[in-house]
Formats: sequence, structure tokens, C-alpha cells
Amino acid sequence: MLDHDETLGQAREELEGCLDVEATRAVERRYLGKQGVVQGQLAEIPRLEPDARRAAGQAANRLKQDLQQAVQERIEALESADIAAQRAGTGFDATLPAPHSQRGGLHPITQVTRELEDLFRSMGYDVLDGPEVELDYYNFEALNIPGDHPARDSHDTFFCQGDGHLLMRTHTSPVQVRAMERFEPPMRIVVPGKCFRQETTDASHDHTFHQMEGLVIDRNVSVSHLIGAMKTLLRGIFGRDLDVRLRPGFFPFVEPGFELDARCPFCTDGCSVCKKTTWIELLPCGLVHPNVLRSGGLDPDEWGGFAFGLGLSRLVMLKHGIDDVRHLLGGDLRFLEQF
Amino acid sequence: MLVSIRWLSRHIDLTGLSPEQICEDLTLSTAEVEGLEPFAPHLSDVRVGHVLERNAHPDADKLSVCHVDIGGEDALTIVCGAPNVSSGQKVAVAPIGTVLPGDFKIKKSKIRGVASQGMICSVRELELGEDHDGIWVLDENAEVGASVSQALGLEDFVIEIDNKSLTHRPDLWGHRGIAGELAAIYSRPLKPLNVELPDCGNGAAFPVQIDTSACSRYLALPIDGARAEPSPDWLRFLLLAVGQRPIDQIVDVSNFVMLDLGQPNHTFDRQKISSGVNVRMARDEERLFTLDGEERSLQASDLLICSGDEPIALAGIMGGQNSKVGEDTSALLLEVATFDPVIVRRTSARLALRTDSSARFEKSLDPTLPLKALGHFVQILRSFQPKIQFPGPLTDAGEWVDPAHRLTLRTERVHAALGKALDEQEMEDILRRLGFGVQSSATGFSVDVPSARSTKDITIERDLIEEIGRIHRYHNIPEQALRAEIAPPKPDLRRNMVRQIQDRLAGGARFREALSYSFVADESLERLGLLGEPYVQVVNPAAQGMDKVRRSVLPSLLPGLEANRRLREDIRLFEIGKGYHPEQANDRGEPLECHQVGLVWAGCPPDKSARFDASRFHQLQGVITDLLDHLQVESIQWRPSTAPPAWAHPAKTLEVYVEGQEEPLGLVTELDPGLCSKLGLSDDLRSDVAASELSIDALLGAPKFEGRYRPIPRFPGIKVDVAVALKEETPAAAVEAAIRESGKGLVADIELFDLYRGENLGESRKSLAYHVLLQSASKTLTEKDERKFLKRFEQAITQQGGELRNG
Repeated sequence: MLDHDETLGQAREELEGCLDVEATRAVERRYLGKQGVVQGQLAEIPRLEPDARRAAGQAANRLKQDLQQAVQERIEALESADIAAQRAGTGFDATLPAPHSQRGGLHPITQVTRELEDLFRSMGYDVLDGPEVELDYYNFEALNIPGDHPARDSHDTFFCQGDGHLLMRTHTSPVQVRAMERFEPPMRIVVPGKCFRQETTDASHDHTFHQMEGLVIDRNVSVSHLIGAMKTLLRGIFGRDLDVRLRPGFFPFVEPGFELDARCPFCTDGCSVCKKTTWIELLPCGLVHPNVLRSGGLDPDEWGGFAFGLGLSRLVMLKHGIDDVRHLLGGDLRFLEQF
Repeated sequence: MLVSIRWLSRHIDLTGLSPEQICEDLTLSTAEVEGLEPFAPHLSDVRVGHVLERNAHPDADKLSVCHVDIGGEDALTIVCGAPNVSSGQKVAVAPIGTVLPGDFKIKKSKIRGVASQGMICSVRELELGEDHDGIWVLDENAEVGASVSQALGLEDFVIEIDNKSLTHRPDLWGHRGIAGELAAIYSRPLKPLNVELPDCGNGAAFPVQIDTSACSRYLALPIDGARAEPSPDWLRFLLLAVGQRPIDQIVDVSNFVMLDLGQPNHTFDRQKISSGVNVRMARDEERLFTLDGEERSLQASDLLICSGDEPIALAGIMGGQNSKVGEDTSALLLEVATFDPVIVRRTSARLALRTDSSARFEKSLDPTLPLKALGHFVQILRSFQPKIQFPGPLTDAGEWVDPAHRLTLRTERVHAALGKALDEQEMEDILRRLGFGVQSSATGFSVDVPSARSTKDITIERDLIEEIGRIHRYHNIPEQALRAEIAPPKPDLRRNMVRQIQDRLAGGARFREALSYSFVADESLERLGLLGEPYVQVVNPAAQGMDKVRRSVLPSLLPGLEANRRLREDIRLFEIGKGYHPEQANDRGEPLECHQVGLVWAGCPPDKSARFDASRFHQLQGVITDLLDHLQVESIQWRPSTAPPAWAHPAKTLEVYVEGQEEPLGLVTELDPGLCSKLGLSDDLRSDVAASELSIDALLGAPKFEGRYRPIPRFPGIKVDVAVALKEETPAAAVEAAIRESGKGLVADIELFDLYRGENLGESRKSLAYHVLLQSASKTLTEKDERKFLKRFEQAITQQGGELRNG
């Protein structure tokens, strides 16, 4: 028969030498496994005198329990030592960079357009679309700019080959009459889109740019409503109330026509954005000219409305402080990745 | 247009108003002021000097040494080279430190040994004229020591008004018109203007014949005894202030009248037009040397002034060389006329000959204005040259009609349009200040529109409302919220889909959105093999070879790859935009518009050891499949393209369809192997490039599946891996079909996880390996089911000349 204390002591010594769970399990197997020491002792019991068997059985069981406990203690000790070692975080460099992950993203014009579309839709406007290659009729004629009107000069139009009726639209306003033809009044619409002007490009001019047209047609629409709507719009864009001023501006498709200036949101006493004037010219707008209503098949005695144009490209430049408009459509990833 | 404040003061008392105030008020009530500059600011540093003594320079014959009093304690010693300097003169002195035009700084200097303490200036050095023959001798009463601008009353400010904001106001193209606006804004009277016609002699009237409706009025007045002498300073300085070069009295008065009243006019040498004046349309191929020395080739749409049949001026634009007033001319014919705005505009645009005159005529001038302008001309010229004579009566030809008219203005309409209940007294007052005649009526007013406002600007009631609004000032109108019934906006399917596409591509697939120009360079189209297709083309492109409007989006994305590839190893770009197909125009001539999404994915070619599907082509196909699934497009199917675009790989191009439909939703392709190097993607930029185009119109029309719940399987499935070796030409689809077939309805999922080619397989053979999930809705499958499946599959594969490699 094995001496209980000696065996247990020897096992403990061996367990102390185990540095991981695996080695511990090996010791466990040697003492407690099918071929193990305890099993050997149990196997001897039937060969003992009957009156000695009971005591031998009890002793073997006690040894088994004590060994099991010793193994368990050792495993727990090892595990907590392991967790403690992990907790120490040895070798961890807090300054290692995060793995590079290329992000996708939307064009800044898309982002601003979406903000505005959502703003307008929340105010009951529909968002419409119109063609970039446009008929002279919608771009000029229907907007009270007949052939040979001097206002055409300022539009720097790209004319298309053919019989002279096609051009690259110079503004988003052609959708005004297109919308009146398609929908019944009253209506509130905005139209984001690309426009074209045949002009020399520089940091603040590009021959292709984005605009958003707005049109409200209803009964009894006045300058007073226009001012209210424009202030609401600017509040939506800049997130706060800006002083505005309305001054005369000439656009043949509105009467009266205005330029809406807002107090420069970037300074209080003049900066490069407002060219030291503290006002920035933001929105050409006005009451829809009766002739334009007629072009759209509406009776100017019954219906009225107002229209406005927002320079999306300009707004994007203002918002992000972009110094050269040509970056917008240049396709350079170093630009696109910033948004 | 440039406006001088000193000039305006000839028409209205501006006492107490700063130039800034005037600009602000013009901006808020009339037109956009773009700038305000002091006139000749250097003149405030140049002093009036009195030449006390003039002595010869000891070492130079042509120089003199002057002692000049400029009001300081000591007189200055100034070395001067001008022959006309003499003692007793009042002269313009630039003391040391003065900066003259051209950034010319006066410094202390020694000239041939004599120290000079400043400069006595010529007119040209002060940018006040061309004269450089001698110094500028000032009026003898000029106050010594005062600044020249103050002493001569030249202090002036020049306002620049945006021409675009005057397009509709022919009456504002002269100083009197602007003064009229200020008169209305400040409620101050306009000073009277002497436009009295002269008494004329009894000679024969100058014959004028008008053969066209394009000239509604032609005034011709013969003037004798006029001399081409320099104009007095007051006139010269006003012209200089607004950027006009003074020439001589005849030219200067002509320009002055135009810039004062907005009415262009012209003087001919009467000796050279002895056959009388004939106003007619030109004949094709007719020619005329204009005053700028150019020979102009004319067309039947041009309006000509002729002497007999010989062209002598391009009406309303520029005079001719052959009738030019010269230094020795004394017999003049003064022309003041009204020409058709459209004809002047067309000719001036066609010849790219825009003049101060044409800019005014094209705005539709008032036909009553010529008579005033003629009187004004005569009064001013006669004030300089009292002896001029008018040998014959004024000829007033043409069938003009006074455009003055009457409009009804309803008070209620003013209130409705402005949204403010202005009182009638204020409305009437504003209209009167603006020069309208006003009578009360039952509903408001009956308004007489003066001729000057009648040609174009004020034609309807709404125009009068604008007049009231702008003088009342729009910022005095309170804001008001729009009130209307609000219904939930209609769903915007197209925009929703565009947003879904943008978000999916930028999010999950990590693509960057680009926006491009709609014009594509010929050079790029040529490389892409697309130059021969039909395009919408502009006739006046921004640059040569940039006249074509794209048919699809991808040609905009491909040319930029090289530049981006230099900076980035992996490029993923997409664009949502429009293309135009002119050959499919509608009956109004509008080209077919296609909404598209274009994608390009480029980067270093994958390693040899990379997974079989690491190529950008496979990856992009995966992105598109994911996108279509996200858009819930039902039952998509990939088919090899039978007609890939020129830039696409002729073999590796797949079109994606909704099962059973004829038109594809779009395609995925690898770039044509020959194209990469043409796009600059060779050598160290060698790239694996995949591209895709999808039609948003087709996606919108495609049937969508509904996101309905399917019950979660109750019984576990069995995962079986199968690998087959077979001939290269056997398509993967055949293996997949065999798997499904062999599963007898139990195949729930198939995933290809390896594609392998190697020597151990033999020539022209490949190995495909799949994860297969077998699953039943009614029972738990066993090993027996797996064995049956494998047996059937082995048979099927063997029939196709392949072998099962499971083992």
C-alpha cells in the first residue's frame, strides 16, 4: 500500500513543476488515469484480506480526492497566473497604428445636395430632374428670354450642332416650365443639377457647375413669402439665423427680380469670402414673371409664384473652404478622399 | 459701366451724400455696384507750385534749374527738362516721396551735378492725357501749395456698375439716367438741362432717305465752322474719369453726349458724303473699312448708313474710314438716330465688334431721345466754339412712334405681390419721383409711363410694382411664412434608388464617388475606340477637341486612372450621371438621356498565390451582385456579352440580366488588354482594371423581390466538400448543375472555394472544389444520404469526362 502523505507529497511536488495545463493533465493522468497510481491501488483491494479491504478502499478514495484537489488547485493557479500575465499586456505597443482601411465616400456635391433635398422635402417640396442637353425653348424662350434678348449674352452658352435648338443648359431654370407643363399647381419643387457656361476657367469659374433651382407656384404668393422662404432655407443651410437683404437683380424670368445677400457667416468685419463687404451674394430669386407662367400654361391672374437658384458648387466651396472650383469635377482621389 | 460722381453732380445736388452712401443706395434700389475708386488718387499728393525762378543748368543745354514755391518754408530746387517751363507759371509738382502712376516713386536725385527735390509733371506723367511735349501749365489762379486735385476741383469718385444689372434699363446707360434714380431715391430734383435747338440757316435741308424699317428715326444736322481743338479741362477730366480718352472737341462732345444721356451719335465729314444719307440694309459681300482700320465683310442682315450707295458707317456700331472727320474738317454732319436693337446686336455679335454705341442701341433706345441729345450736343459744342453755324434746317426722318403709354395699376395687386399694404400716397409719391405720371382711379392708379422707360422695361403692371418695391426697399417688407396644405411627399423612386446605390457602393464596397465633366476629349474617345460613335456636339467648345457630350459615364472615369494610379495602389471610383444618344432623339429633337452608374476598380495585379477569384473583375462582379441583391432585383443572370464595347475585354465581358428579359441591366468587364498601356497603365503602373456600367433606368424597371421571411430549417444539414478534376473547357456551371441534379432537391447551398490548375492534373485540366450544403425540410439527413449524393455526383461527373477527387 502506498503511503498517503508520501504519494500526495510527491504528486504535489510534480505538480509544482508543471508550467502549463497540459503538463498538469499529464501528471493527473499518471496518478488518476486508467493506468494510474490510484487505479493500481484500487486494483489491489480485492486481493487483500476481507477485513482490510474497507480501510484500503477508504484510503484509496481519500488519496484520489486529495490528488484531484491538488490537480484542480494547480490548474486554477496556472490559469490565474496566465490571466495575470495576459493582463500585464507585455509587448503591447499602444502607439502601433491601426491597420489601414480604405474608406469609400460620397462626393461633397452629393452630400450638400442631399442635405438640401431633405430640407426641402421636409417642407413639402418635390425634387425634380431635367436634361443637361436642353432645348433653346426651355432654357431661354419659355423663360421670357426671346432670341436676340441681350440677357442671352451673359449666359455664355454652349450651343449644340444641328438646327440651333439644342444647347447645354446654362441654368436649372428650364425645369420651371417643364414642371408647369407636367404637374398641376400648386407646386413646390427643387431641381438640383449640372449646368454649363462657355467661359474661361479659373479658380472660381468652371464651365461646368452645379445649381439647385427652386420654384413655388400657388395662389397669392408675394415678395413677403419669398423672403420668409429664403430665410428658412438659409437657417436650414447654416444652422442659424442670418441677416439677409434683398436688392434688385435683373433676370428676365422673374419680375421683380432680386439678388439675396446674406451676412457673411464667416466673419463680422469683412474677410476674403465676402470680399470685405460683410455680405455674400447667395441667391438670385424673384416672383415668377407672368410670361413664364403663361409659357407653362398657367393664368397669371390666378397663379403666382417665386423662384430661386442656389449655387451648389459655390455652397460646397464655402462649406469646406475649397479654394479652387476645378477640384470638384477633377476626379483627383486626393481631393475625393477628404469627404 | 463707369459713373463719375462729379459728373452726376452736373445733374443733381449730391451735397451731404458720401460716395459710399450713394453706392449703397444704388445697390439697394437700382443696380449692383461692383466697385468704387477715387479718380486719379495720386493727384492729391501732387502740389500746385509757383515757378519763382528759372535758370539754365550749368552743365546741360536742354535742362533748366527751377526754384519752385509749393507753399513750404523754402522753395524747392527742381531740375526740369521741359522746353516750356518759365518763371511765373503755376505747375504741378510731385515732391520727393510722391508715387505717380506706374509705381513711379519720386526720389531725391542729382541730375548732372545739381540736386533735384522733385519733379514738375507733364499731363502724361499724371495720366491725364497724351501730351508729353512739355510740362502741364496750370491755371494762373491755382492756389500754391494746394493739391492739384483740390485746386482744380478734380476730386472725384468713380462707381462701377455691373452691366448685367442694367440690361433691361436703356435709360440708365448715361449719367443723367443714374442721376434720375438718385433723384427718386433721395427725393431731390434733377437740374434742368439745356437741349434747346439752334436757329438754323435757310440752306437746303440735308437729304436723308430711309429704305428700311430697321431705322425708326434719323436726325441729321449740318454744322459749319467746327474745329478739332483740345477740349477744356472740365470735359477732359470727366471723360478720363470714366475711362474715355479725350481727343478733340468734336469727338469729345460726341462721347460726352453719349455718356451723359445714353444716346450714341456720330459726326461725318460732310464734304465726303455729298450724295446725302441713305439708310439701308447691306448686300451680301459688301465691304466697309470701319474706323478701327478693319475691313468688314457685310451681310444682308447688317444695317448701313450710305452716302448715295456707298457705305459710310455700320449703323449704331462704328463709323467708316471714308467719311471720317479729320483735323481739317470744318463741315460736319451730326447724326443722332434710333436703330433696331436686334439688328445692331446681331451684327455686333457676328463681327465681335462691341462698342459703347452698340451696347446702348441693343438695349432698345427711346426714339424721343435723339432730339434731346442733338440739342445737348449743339449747346455744348457752341459753348466751346460760339462761331459754329447751322447752314440748313434739321432733317428729322423716319416713321417713329412715341412709345410712351398708359398702364393700370391696381392697389390690390401691389399689396398682393409685395405682401405688404403700402398706402396709396406712398405708391403715388414713388412713381412721381421716378418720373411717371399718376392719376387716381377707382381701383388704384392710371400711370403714364414716360418714353424713356417705355421701350422695353415697363410694359406690364408687374413692372410698376417692381418700381414701387425697389424704391420702398425690399428689406422694409416683413417676412411671412408660406401657408399651404402639406401632404407627405410622393415617394421618389429614382432618387431613392440613386441614394441606395451611392450608399452601398461607398459603404460596403468602399468606392469613392466622383463627378465628372460631361464633355469627353476626342483624344480619350480615340483611345477608348469610341470616337466613331454619334455624339451631341457643341459648336463652341471650351477647348479644341472637347466638343463631345458623353454617351455613357465610363469614358469620363477611365482617362483619370493613370494620375490616380501614380498615387494609389487601389482605386475604386464610381459616378452616377447622364449620357446622351443623339441618334435616338425624340420628335422635339431631344437626344435620348441615359442615367447610369459607372464603376472602375484598378490596382496592382494580384499575386500568383492569390485566391482564384482575387482579380478585380471577379471582385467587381461580386460588388455588382451584392448591389443588385441590395436593390432587391429579382433573379439575375450573367451572360457573356455578344457585343462588348470597344474598351472592354472581348472575351471577359459579362452582361447581367433579369432572367427572361431582353435588355441587360448592365455589364462587368476587364479592360481590353490593349487599352491599359494606352491609358498609361504599364510598366510600374501595370494594373488589373475592371469596369462596370449599369443602367439606372433598367434597374428602376426591373422586377424586385419582396423581403419576405423564410422559415428557419428545423433539421440540421450536412456539409459535404467535393472536388472534381475535369477538362478546361467544361464550364463551372455544368459542375454546379451536376451537384444540384445529384442532390435531388436537397442542395441548399453551393460555394466554389478553389480553382486549381497544376501539372498533376494533366494538360488542359482544372480542378474545382465546392462546399455543398445538403438539407431537408422534413428529416435529419444521415451519412447514407451523403453517400447516395456522392455516388450520383461521381457518375454525373464521369459522364462529363471528369473525375471526383474526394478521397
